[in-house]
Amino acid sequence: MSDTNPERTGGGSERTDGGTEVGSEVVSGGHTDDHDHDHGHDFPGTGSIKRWFVTTNHKDVGILYIVTSLFFLVLGGVLAWLMRIQLWAPRAPTETILAPVAYNQAVSAHGLLMVFWFLSPFAFGFANYVVPLQLGAKDLAFPRLNALSYWLYLFSGILFGVSFFQGGTFSGGWTMYAPLNVPTFTPDVGASTAVLALVLFVASVTVSSVNFLTTMHRMRAEGLTLRNMPLFSWTILLTVWMMLFAFAALLAALMVLSADRLLGTTYFAMESPAGALLWTHLFWFFGHPEVYIVFFPALGVMAEVFQTFTGRRIVGRKWFIIAMVLVAIQSFVVWMHHMFLTSINLQVKTLFMITTIGISLPFDLMVFALIYTMLKGKIRFTTPFLFVFGALLLFIIGGITGVFLGAVVLDYEFRGTYWVVAHFHYVMVGGVTALVGGLYYWFPKITGRMYDEFLGKVHFAAYFVGFNLLYFPLFVAWETPRRVFDYAPELAPWHQLATIGGFVLGLSFLIMFYNLFKSAFTGDPVSDNPWEYATTAEWAVSSPPPLENFEGTPTYRDGHLSFILDRESDATGGATAADGSGGATADGGVATSPHTAVTTEYEPTVEATEVEGPSHASIWPFVLSLGAFLILLGISPLQDTAFPEGMMGAAYATTAVAGFGVTLGSLIAMGLEPFHGPVFDEGEAWPFSGIDNGKVGMWIFLASDVVLFGGFLGAYIFTRFAFGWTGWQPVPDDPIPGLVNTYILLTSSFTVVLALVAAEKKHKLGLVTSLGATFVLGIGFLVNKALEWQHLFHEGLWLSTNVRTSTFFLTTGLHAAHVIAGLIVALYLTARAWRGAYLEDSRSVEYFGLYWHFVDIVWLFLFPLFYIL
Amino acid sequence: MGTTLVGSSPLFLQSGLVPRGSRIIVFESIFEVFLLLGTLVGVVVIGYMLYNAYKYRSGAAKEGKEVEDRPVLGELPTGSGGGRKLATSFFMSMIIVVSLISWTYLTLLYVEEGPSADDSLDIEAEGYQFGWRFTYPNGHTTDGVLRIPAEQPVRLQVTSADVFHNFGIPELRVKTDAIPGQETETWFVANETGTYTAQCYELCGAGHSYMSAEVIVMPPDEYEEWYESTGNGSSERVSTENGSSESVSTENESAAVEARAA
Repeated sequence: MSDTNPERTGGGSERTDGGTEVGSEVVSGGHTDDHDHDHGHDFPGTGSIKRWFVTTNHKDVGILYIVTSLFFLVLGGVLAWLMRIQLWAPRAPTETILAPVAYNQAVSAHGLLMVFWFLSPFAFGFANYVVPLQLGAKDLAFPRLNALSYWLYLFSGILFGVSFFQGGTFSGGWTMYAPLNVPTFTPDVGASTAVLALVLFVASVTVSSVNFLTTMHRMRAEGLTLRNMPLFSWTILLTVWMMLFAFAALLAALMVLSADRLLGTTYFAMESPAGALLWTHLFWFFGHPEVYIVFFPALGVMAEVFQTFTGRRIVGRKWFIIAMVLVAIQSFVVWMHHMFLTSINLQVKTLFMITTIGISLPFDLMVFALIYTMLKGKIRFTTPFLFVFGALLLFIIGGITGVFLGAVVLDYEFRGTYWVVAHFHYVMVGGVTALVGGLYYWFPKITGRMYDEFLGKVHFAAYFVGFNLLYFPLFVAWETPRRVFDYAPELAPWHQLATIGGFVLGLSFLIMFYNLFKSAFTGDPVSDNPWEYATTAEWAVSSPPPLENFEGTPTYRDGHLSFILDRESDATGGATAADGSGGATADGGVATSPHTAVTTEYEPTVEATEVEGPSHASIWPFVLSLGAFLILLGISPLQDTAFPEGMMGAAYATTAVAGFGVTLGSLIAMGLEPFHGPVFDEGEAWPFSGIDNGKVGMWIFLASDVVLFGGFLGAYIFTRFAFGWTGWQPVPDDPIPGLVNTYILLTSSFTVVLALVAAEKKHKLGLVTSLGATFVLGIGFLVNKALEWQHLFHEGLWLSTNVRTSTFFLTTGLHAAHVIAGLIVALYLTARAWRGAYLEDSRSVEYFGLYWHFVDIVWLFLFPLFYIL
Repeated sequence: MGTTLVGSSPLFLQSGLVPRGSRIIVFESIFEVFLLLGTLVGVVVIGYMLYNAYKYRSGAAKEGKEVEDRPVLGELPTGSGGGRKLATSFFMSMIIVVSLISWTYLTLLYVEEGPSADDSLDIEAEGYQFGWRFTYPNGHTTDGVLRIPAEQPVRLQVTSADVFHNFGIPELRVKTDAIPGQETETWFVANETGTYTAQCYELCGAGHSYMSAEVIVMPPDEYEEWYESTGNGSSERVSTENGSSESVSTENESAAVEARAA
């Protein structure tokens, strides 16, 4: 049989569902004429440039992510080529093609770009596009925040690109080990910019994590319990949970590093009592979960594609999920296996050896589950399947060579060699292989057209040969030290093979780009579901899906997907399942009659009943991200809190100020903009049923903020232990200002509660007064702190004085920044309350209250740690 | 677990099952077993995977026609059977991995214990951008060259004067991090005389590729003779072919030069 269905009836008329032999009980939801125009009064079509700047639709954002990440793949790939050219032969100092520093920059930027700006965003392009469809949601919970994630991501990438032109980008490796990462050793402005670009990237990830978690926990279709969620969505859910915490730890590390570079703090300085070790702990606490963060989505693609193209359900699905959950949790307790050769003791090594072996075992189960799924299958070797099949094969090799590293005695010798390089490329680029399979798999859904199967297979052949030619010789040449281009001459043939492989692998992507670009415009049109045995809901809607995904409300309450039409439910007072063929036909016949019956009956009454349809356009996420970009670019040349002298410094400072204005302005504009997120009536929302989306989002954000402060406090405690706990005196010799501030903040928590009570009682004056009082108390806190800091400053204590003052000013400064952010919101709320807002809907006040209480609680930890102990 | 193993170690270690001896013997024998088993497992698993992919290809005689219950669009996901097979394979892989790692753990205990202080030579090694300095028990320092006697265990205390480095002598299978403000310990024995190269294994700046030192393993009597000729405060500096001649210099390097001159 053919996998594709070239038939595509014209817009407006009904079409058969999927055109597969099996058919299905599903009634396709999407039958509008042109999905671009069904809500299109102010929303431009996909052909318009403007659309792509204002869109908040999850499918558009998904496409933007995919396209942008592929651009970064090319950039990172070109850098890899430069390295491979340098490695063609061992280079004496006079024979290098890239200068040593340029080579180090290529190594570092290649790693950073591929891990951060390509791999995860590529996967999250699919996640954006597919997950809401699989869940039965019309969009993500916070569409504007989703667009914001994308724009922050793009601008962070641009900022990273700018760093190359500021004297050179960061050259200390993607692991950014201290103290090479401080300006003493990497003085270029570009190095600071690269770090700031990462900060911006983490902001994007955090916004995205909050959005996905809220969506995935709160907006699943009825009957779609967590247990019933498709495996791709499962992997994304676990990935996002890991991201929420792991990236918060990275943010702490990066903020401290930025402070060291820009403000002159001395956490990671050479003289710091344990700066180098502190960095390795902070970085790897993030870094190891990151491995699974980039690999899990690939695993999800593998599971989906295996199921579809073998025509078999995943063997041991439940155990597969349990294994992934175990990995996600354990991923936070294995980080020190990257540090076996540091000064950690045998007990700790033993512990981390055990957790490392423990985390490898669930993967064995997943691999076997995928292999056994092929048994008794009807395997069709389409391009997506070839890629995920190849990915599994590569992952097996990556896994086996990883066990070598789990044996500590072997790790001692493999540390810093190409064994590690080869191993993690087999795993990570193995993951990329699966994601490329995912791109082919969902391409017809996204574009509505089929790619060229022959070219796809040619791409796979070239890719697979290139991959193994590139990475396998690196195992043979494992004695080469990492990030070194002067290696033992007898290893040269292996490096030459690898270089050739690198070019084959890279050039194979040209076939893909040509194929996909051409097919997007001229490929055969496809039906809803071009793949036989696909099960997930994205295949039950048209290709591409309509703007709001489903015409009816998707539900699984009868044990399979069906759609409830709004008008009928209005008329009869009870929902009518759209599948006239009845729930019993589990693998039903071709469901044609109910299909047509439903679609002809359907009228777009939604517009009439819902006065405000969901919004899909906002320019402010773009503007806000631009503002953040300008701020970070502006502050990038800071050293020791000072801008460079002269015109250059003035230009940078102006940029920062302008960026601040743009950011603040767009934040306010975004707050005032009338925007309606997707309406979601009922469905599965475990464990957050009965809680509003906004509140869930706030809780999740605060959870990541806990880890951020945890990172700062951990850094403080770690440094203090290394310094000698008792020899470390609190920086302020007088704890009274701190004590006064404790009382001020506790009082302000009380006034926030009063504000909420007043809002709920629709008592306008009480609301304005309480919010105003909160604001005044917050200002009081800051003024008191400013006086205290000024006093310390006059005593000669400042950020850069020593590591004691660094931790004090930076940690309490982070808290003060939280207070300032809260006060800006409080001011905004007060102004709006003055004009009568929040009396009908007090939720904004409640969410602000949550944040404010959190900030107060943090102070309750900071005060004893920094003033008393 | 650790204590009981250590307690019973004489029996275990004397049986010859657990590799002991120089770092070279330890590494090579474990690596060999891992390579052998790893290849075996890889070939079996990948072979099985390819065989089944071929056997159950669409259109093949054996494409699994007996299965009528194929996945359909819109169903709630469930798993296929085959749980027992899955569990069996999982436990087999678990046994292989856990027993392999436990076996190497015994060697790890041996490596961590190291040679006794009495019969070993203690040397301090310090990395800097971009080279290595060594200090002998009598205070003699060398730069860029490490002279040691053959057949005598050497214990190294390694640290760094500036950034994070990693000291390794690949042929002698010894390696440890060189961290500013921290001291790490490692040991090795060189059984054969000759000249080896020590290298840096952690990216440390522009000169990383060329950050090496010569390791000269001398016959014990020659070493003794050389060692007698050194004394407190004496120093020597050997310029390796590339090392230390980097154009890139930092404050720390000039500081290091001053220290050397002093």
